[in-house]
Amino acid sequence: MSRIFHLSIIITTLFIIPTVSLAFAAETAGEYIDRKAEIWNLFFRMMTVAFVVGGVIAGTMVWQVWRFRESNPNSKPTEYEEKGEF
Amino acid sequence: MAHSNWAEWIYLGVVTALLIYVGAEAWNVERIIDHAPADAEIIIVTGQQWFWTFEHEDGTKEVGELHLKKDHAYKFEVTSIDVNHDFNIPEFVVLMDAIPGRINTVWFSPNEAGEFEIQCREYCGLIHYNMRAKLYVEDV
Amino acid sequence: MVLELARPRPIWQIMFSTHHTDVGLLYLVFSLLAMFVGGAMAIALRVELFAPGAQLIQDAMTYNRLFTAHGTTMIFLFLLPSAAAVGNYLVPIMVRYKDMAYPKLNAIAFWMIPPAAALVWLGMADFGWYANPPYSVISAPAPAAEMWIFGLKVLGVSSILSSINFVVTILKCKHPDLSLGKVPLLAWSFLTSSIIVLAAMPTFAAALLMLLTDRLGVSGFFNPAVGGDPIAYQHLFWFTFHPEVYVLVIPAIGMMYEIIPRFSRRPIFSHSSGVAAFIILALVSFASWAHHMFATGMSFTEKTVFMVGTLAAVPASAMHVFNFLATMWNGRIKFATPMMFAVGGIALFFAAGAGGVVNTAMPLDFITHDSYWVVGHFHLFVFGTIAFGTIGFVYYLFPYITGRMYNEKWGVVHFILAFVGACITFFTQHILGLFGMPRRIYDYPEIDAWISMNQLVSVGAMIILVGMVIFLGNMIYSMAKGKPANLEDPFGLGGKYYYPFAQRNPQHGEGGY
Ligand code: HEM
Ligand SMILES: [Cu+2]
Ligand SMILES: [Cu+2]
Repeated sequence: MSRIFHLSIIITTLFIIPTVSLAFAAETAGEYIDRKAEIWNLFFRMMTVAFVVGGVIAGTMVWQVWRFRESNPNSKPTEYEEKGEF
Repeated sequence: MAHSNWAEWIYLGVVTALLIYVGAEAWNVERIIDHAPADAEIIIVTGQQWFWTFEHEDGTKEVGELHLKKDHAYKFEVTSIDVNHDFNIPEFVVLMDAIPGRINTVWFSPNEAGEFEIQCREYCGLIHYNMRAKLYVEDV
Repeated sequence: MVLELARPRPIWQIMFSTHHTDVGLLYLVFSLLAMFVGGAMAIALRVELFAPGAQLIQDAMTYNRLFTAHGTTMIFLFLLPSAAAVGNYLVPIMVRYKDMAYPKLNAIAFWMIPPAAALVWLGMADFGWYANPPYSVISAPAPAAEMWIFGLKVLGVSSILSSINFVVTILKCKHPDLSLGKVPLLAWSFLTSSIIVLAAMPTFAAALLMLLTDRLGVSGFFNPAVGGDPIAYQHLFWFTFHPEVYVLVIPAIGMMYEIIPRFSRRPIFSHSSGVAAFIILALVSFASWAHHMFATGMSFTEKTVFMVGTLAAVPASAMHVFNFLATMWNGRIKFATPMMFAVGGIALFFAAGAGGVVNTAMPLDFITHDSYWVVGHFHLFVFGTIAFGTIGFVYYLFPYITGRMYNEKWGVVHFILAFVGACITFFTQHILGLFGMPRRIYDYPEIDAWISMNQLVSVGAMIILVGMVIFLGNMIYSMAKGKPANLEDPFGLGGKYYYPFAQRNPQHGEGGY
């Protein structure tokens, strides 16, 4: 379930952001390409992706650490523990 | 240990898709900024321990400062006469190594008037930290 | 293992021993010593950069010598030897063999390191850990440069010898009942990283010799004044050293593969996926070296090729992250110090990789190249990932080596300081890079944003320093006074795993371990 949610966030960033940026990129004021704007826009697009993915990973890790720590009241011995195989 | 790996494959698919997107976007922007316009003025940039010299098309030379006109295109031909340096105008994301025996080119068009920093980004010895120059973009 | 302290021996017996646990101990002690030496240098650099103007270091030359020695020390004298320490302790046990394949060669490989360290530390070269010509040929002062070149030559040979030893031990000496596919992932990490060394290191060895003859004036390979090409050196250097960064990171990932299942009380999610990812990384690591050279005037096509080659390594790294998280899923995780360092290391591993992807996205390199962004990027790897894995593993081995437990509370304090310090230091360095601050500078102009960020970075470094001092104190105190460890299961995890302490050291006499 949560995986589907994450996936949809990623797909949104994948398609919406380029579309929006394409729509706005066309009208540069001057005669020449604005090198600075091109590069920094790319940078911020990449940062959007990086922070979304990073948020998903960091969120997953924080949740795991909280949920599966042995001191969590819900934690129970793993199936491997009884057999002692790990 | 039997377990299914579908989750890992989906995950790898997403990672790969993202990387393709990153690569394609980067490629596209690089393509856009790569080609200098035909009417770009050529400026020969020479690095040497530890200052910059600029030579305009008309032969005038400047040391430690560079005067350019707003909304004109400039193509830098960057080189060095001793060790490696790196010509950098952080404000306009202009960056190119100055390497003895080579001429590297990078172009830009300043769309903002004012005073900006020029610095050396490649370690070049004792005074590397202070190998600085000033860029003046004039509104004409 | 050996219980070094429970059964004290004359020090010369350890020094002249060829037993893998003794050589492992020598590697470990030396590498931690180098970590503190390199760390002291880093602190000096950070104090200097705390504010514009001379703070601690009075001249640029000293600063330049210090950052060169810092980088060289941390990579070649701390990270490589500390990985070799872990490999020496555990690889023979994991492949169920009595020792390394060539014990004498093993001891020789170690004993090449201290003289090389002396060359680097007494020489104090000033050309950065990459020694780029023509600076290193025509400008760098002698004899420091020569001493550095000889030191690295020796270190290169040492790492080739120890890699041969690991490869032969794993492939030829493993127990006949143990199939290669079943070899634990830590041993696999040493197999793959050793193979990378064997393929990559000779190139740098050649480049070093060419550099030396260039300096002597008998050749001009890299000297444009006599028709040479300085860019050729950069290709040779990075052909070795991009793969080499994986030589550093792969054993650290192997150590996490040891710690994470144990403390999650579950087997590794997928052993085969771990092996596959190691092999893919080893191969793909050779496809990306010129991403360090985007600004040297490469063509659009060349840059594209190396960007694609660099991005191709990311899925394999991502497979490791997946494997770690999937192993922890549904576990009952004990957060002792080794596990904290492993999990913290994974988090920073992602951030480091994301920064790397930005570096390699061609136009973005115009922003990041040779700025503090790059410094932040690779420190998230070398400190945040590799040193975290290694330090966690030192805590993990501590009871096996000394027979005593370290102090858990102080271990946790160390982890928190290291993690918080690393985040403050290295993330701020990324932003400093975005503000255009070049790396390798002794002083900087009074730009408000630069000043405040540099101060933040220096504070972060101090936090890391406090953590490291606590680490040192904890180790020294616990070695002598810690409570005796239960060697069957020092961390109270239950389960039966290989018993590292069960390897007998012949020096310990009858009945000893
Ligand atoms: C996802 C994996 C990685 C990617 C995409 C990546 C990418 C890059 C790129 C493109 C650069 C060049 C930046 C520049 O100077 O313009 C770079 C620099 C560097 N990277 Fe990585 N990297 C990755 C993994 C690693 C690892 C694992 C390490 C170390 C263990 C590492 C250590 C370094 C170092 C030391 C530099 C600085 C080189 C220098 O200029 O002296 N990288 N990285
Ligand atoms: Cu410089
Ligand atoms: Cu690299």
